[in-house]
Amino acid sequence: MRRSLVILTSVLATGALTLTACGSRDDNGGGDSAGGDTTTLTIGVDAPLSGENSTTGLGIQYGAQIAVDDANKNKLVPGVTFKLKAFDDKAQPATGQSNATSITGDKTAVGAVGPLNSGVAQSMQQVFASANMVQISPSNTNPELTQGKNWQTDKKRPFKTYFRTATTDELQGSFAADYAINGLKKKSVFVVDDKQTYGAGLAKIFTEQFKKLGGKVVETDHVNTGDKDFGSLVTKIKNSKADLLYYGGQYDESALLSKQMKDGGVKIPLFGGDGMFASTYIEAGGAATEGDLATAIGVPADTLPAAKQFIETYKAKGYKGDYGAYGAYSYDAATAIINAVKAVVDANGGKVPTDMTDLRTKVVDEVQKSDFQGLSGKVSFDEYGDTTNKQLTVYQVVKGEWKAVKTGTADLN
Amino acid sequence: MTGIGPVEPVNSPETNESHDTIGTDAPHLTDRIADLWAGLTPRTRTAAIATAVAGAVAAAATLIPQVSGDSESPAPVPWPANVTTWRYLGFAAPHNSGATSGRYHFAVTVDHGPPVTLRISGTAFPGLTAHALPEPAFTVAASTTRKITVRISVSDCSELPLNADLPFLDVTLRNTRAIQHHSFIFGGTFSRDLSVLLHGACDRAADGPGPRPSGSANSQHVDGVEIPPNRPTAPRALVRPPRRHNKNVTSELAAMPLSAYRA
Repeated sequence: MRRSLVILTSVLATGALTLTACGSRDDNGGGDSAGGDTTTLTIGVDAPLSGENSTTGLGIQYGAQIAVDDANKNKLVPGVTFKLKAFDDKAQPATGQSNATSITGDKTAVGAVGPLNSGVAQSMQQVFASANMVQISPSNTNPELTQGKNWQTDKKRPFKTYFRTATTDELQGSFAADYAINGLKKKSVFVVDDKQTYGAGLAKIFTEQFKKLGGKVVETDHVNTGDKDFGSLVTKIKNSKADLLYYGGQYDESALLSKQMKDGGVKIPLFGGDGMFASTYIEAGGAATEGDLATAIGVPADTLPAAKQFIETYKAKGYKGDYGAYGAYSYDAATAIINAVKAVVDANGGKVPTDMTDLRTKVVDEVQKSDFQGLSGKVSFDEYGDTTNKQLTVYQVVKGEWKAVKTGTADLN
Repeated sequence: MTGIGPVEPVNSPETNESHDTIGTDAPHLTDRIADLWAGLTPRTRTAAIATAVAGAVAAAATLIPQVSGDSESPAPVPWPANVTTWRYLGFAAPHNSGATSGRYHFAVTVDHGPPVTLRISGTAFPGLTAHALPEPAFTVAASTTRKITVRISVSDCSELPLNADLPFLDVTLRNTRAIQHHSFIFGGTFSRDLSVLLHGACDRAADGPGPRPSGSANSQHVDGVEIPPNRPTAPRALVRPPRRHNKNVTSELAAMPLSAYRA
């Protein structure tokens, strides 16, 4: 009986080992890199990684990091290992420009992801253009960056090296104005901005659209980035009798403004743009933010099946920051650069061009031709370098969390 | 991201869990096989071992491709709004001056996933109604584009900006994954074509009241009717259509309220 059991166990074990061995061979199959020689190419990422705006900035950094890790793991470009090099611009244009110079001066760099802030991007664009290196922002929304200063009347692309995976404030400001009028039924608004390229630009577009839809802008005012005390502004808002406060700027100031406004007895919602859409806004403003609103680019990540693995990886790695606002868009931006490198290498007989200037130039051209399914949906760019994925969501703070209340997709042709 | 989106799960295959029933009081399988084995002759046992080894090898060769194939989970069913696109094609019929409704062609495409059933639930402003023709709900299969006609009617001029930049259609989309309420926003051509309807319907309503400023300089030009510019208050309408009225009222000049401040 005992010997019989031993024999039976041996038979079953033999079968199991056979299965295991075959499984290992299968796992190791494919992706045989040529020759063993690998080239390391660097992708720079620039965002505020410390101080103000760093919650969303870190989401950009680690979104790109996961894209690079995935590409290396899957040997997306045989013979090439990608390396991500992160730069902290502290949300300062001058620092961003200095970082751009560092990235373009790196002989192994093929492109860059970032920055977060439109104002910082303005200071970087020329640097990347001079080096003929691609730059893709996952979050810049100011229309001028891709369509020129006269974008409302005469669109003209300023830099062929600049792209973005985020849609523009032309759409975001209009979407917010519509929701304020038709969704919230608000008729009079007090508009505040932080005097920055992004904040002032978004507030201007919202103001124009709100008026066109029949709303009344009762008063406007400005704050400085870094301000903490909004006492006098709260008094103005209270006296204006506005039924909505629209804020163009980032969460650092708007969270404090919302708290001080509600504490001051002004019980009207604060509505802002994607610069406010971060978990930090709710954490900093506390219960006072309940009912506040923000538009954000794209649709909720929860409705994007491809983003599921990304979110799990982000959490599993214990990365800091908030991936929710721009993480998936940063992943797609980095992937667009990686795919462009692959196209260049494939067209060059499977070899990385030895002339780095040539490689950078060709990568710009290939990014322009991007057409793939990313985490955020289809990734491709129009003639201005803007994403063709024009989705937006209105979020509202409900029970201490951002909850999507309206989603939309635009076809502006 | 903490937002969950304005969605409602519908019979999602990913939530359709099945449970195997395990655990009974029958004798353990190994005990039964061991009893059976003990009852065999040595020759029979040798033959059984050879057969088992050969069977194991054959089973491995057969099963491995299936195992590796099954390890890739099937693609999840997409949310309907993420695979559906709308493109404006143009007027479905020549637009009559003064008409209070117009018909417009759109191309609706579903990229992949299960079929999506769509129903237009509204449009840009409270003074407009919209629905698809001939049936309000229609279905588009994956990898196909369907040309549809949308009828938009003016029911109340008082809330209408006559030159809206980015008009949209509110649409309810449904597939086996979710029901979503989503806006499809249009620029350029549709914006201009819709403005033709709005001007035609509301510019002609010369004597109607308008509770707030709206429209543009163009809205001052109304054929055959003198409109004093920028008057502080507008006269009351003699006839005012019901707010949700969506029928043609093409020739009643006094029927539609008019914006008061038209600068």
